[in-house]
Amino acid sequence: MAFIELKQVSFFYPGKKEPVLNSVSHSFGKDGITAVVGPNGSGKTTLTKIMVGIVQPNSGEVFLDSLPLKKYSLAEIGRRIGYVFQNTSHQFFCATVAEEIGFGLKHLGKESEAVEEKVEFYLEYFELTAYRNVFPLRLSYGEKQRVAIAAVLANSPDYCILDEPTVGLDVYRKRLLENHLKKIVRLGSGLLIVSHDYNFVKRIADRVVRMENGQVQEGSG
Amino acid sequence: MKLDPRTKLVIIICITTLALIYNTPGRLLLLFALTIILILFFRINLAGIWSSLKKLLPLLLTLFLVQVIFLRSGTALVSVGSAPLITANGLAAGTSVMLRLGIVCFVAVLLTSSTNSRDFVLGLAQWKIPYEIAFMVSVTIRFLPVLREEMSNIITAVQLRGVELKKVPWREKIKLYCSLFFPLVYGTILKAQRLSLAMEARCFRIYPQRTYLRRLRLTCIDYVLMVVSVIATLIFINPDIWR
Repeated sequence: MAFIELKQVSFFYPGKKEPVLNSVSHSFGKDGITAVVGPNGSGKTTLTKIMVGIVQPNSGEVFLDSLPLKKYSLAEIGRRIGYVFQNTSHQFFCATVAEEIGFGLKHLGKESEAVEEKVEFYLEYFELTAYRNVFPLRLSYGEKQRVAIAAVLANSPDYCILDEPTVGLDVYRKRLLENHLKKIVRLGSGLLIVSHDYNFVKRIADRVVRMENGQVQEGSG
Repeated sequence: MKLDPRTKLVIIICITTLALIYNTPGRLLLLFALTIILILFFRINLAGIWSSLKKLLPLLLTLFLVQVIFLRSGTALVSVGSAPLITANGLAAGTSVMLRLGIVCFVAVLLTSSTNSRDFVLGLAQWKIPYEIAFMVSVTIRFLPVLREEMSNIITAVQLRGVELKKVPWREKIKLYCSLFFPLVYGTILKAQRLSLAMEARCFRIYPQRTYLRRLRLTCIDYVLMVVSVIATLIFINPDIWR
């Protein structure tokens, strides 16, 4: 069953003649890992932004769990879908790495001990313990990437969308990320990855959706 | 009509000066109308400005209410028993504060939306203002929209972590916004550091003298508008100036 469904979705950036997304219809199930691939400018990131309601389509409609996305507030979407931005610096707003990872849990009313425990787990898992009190924007690209992914996964959303999650990660950390993503999928979360990392996609994805010229060209797997 | 950035700067300084000096709603309303006419004259999208400035409405309304509630002098318009609740002076002061801030915001947009920051630096440098200072001013103008975008990114990111900002109680909301303010400022300082490094890497200030590929030329219309703006401002400030 479709968890996120796009029906005839089109999107134009202001002042551009060509649409970034041209009447895209596609369903994304909650089972397994879907990878979206395609050349630069093919509309992959715009597609994911529309799927989480950051960007509104010019025409067409998006459904989340069979309900129009418009019916949900951004926070309601955020509680169900975790989103890692392509430029992770855009999603940091806390003074330390530990606060960043625990922010969502704390504001969702979780017990402080449970928050602490989860923060510790993710700090350790993504080898960020040494940076727990560092300002996130001070970190290197790869470290920021790990913090962003940890902060989103800590909320345990039903579905995760990761835009270029492997950029800046070394082989060892890509493997760590891969293992963790496979684990959360086994626990019942759906996952969508936008990536140019062909080897990563080949290893991890159950389905591959190829985008070109603002349209879904093919789906495989 | 294409005006020199310096002409726009003079007009904006005149309007801002009048907005700060005037303290009656009638005069400020006229000045606000003049600002709107200028925005239309420069063919700036008024709806676009409104959509970005309407976020300031809660702040303007708060300032209005503070003035209305705490300024007790003048004729009582609404009273509870013998205690005046809303007075004519309070209402006038509240309206004035709102209009004054509105004028300053709208003229600021007039400068940022209709002027290329490079032209602005060039204009100031031709007025013998040190290039470093002119560049600093232009960077400030250039980065204002970036800062706004960053704030909007932060608000989106907070909501995507599941926080319903509209439903957070005011006390919590203020606390949350205060905690977001520090990373925003820190991030801006980091950006400024990177910018200065990038500038030095491209030999900023390596020679004491700078040359420019282009020169801006003030036309007759520029001179006339600048003189008329300054004289009109002086007359509006002190009508007896000619006596």
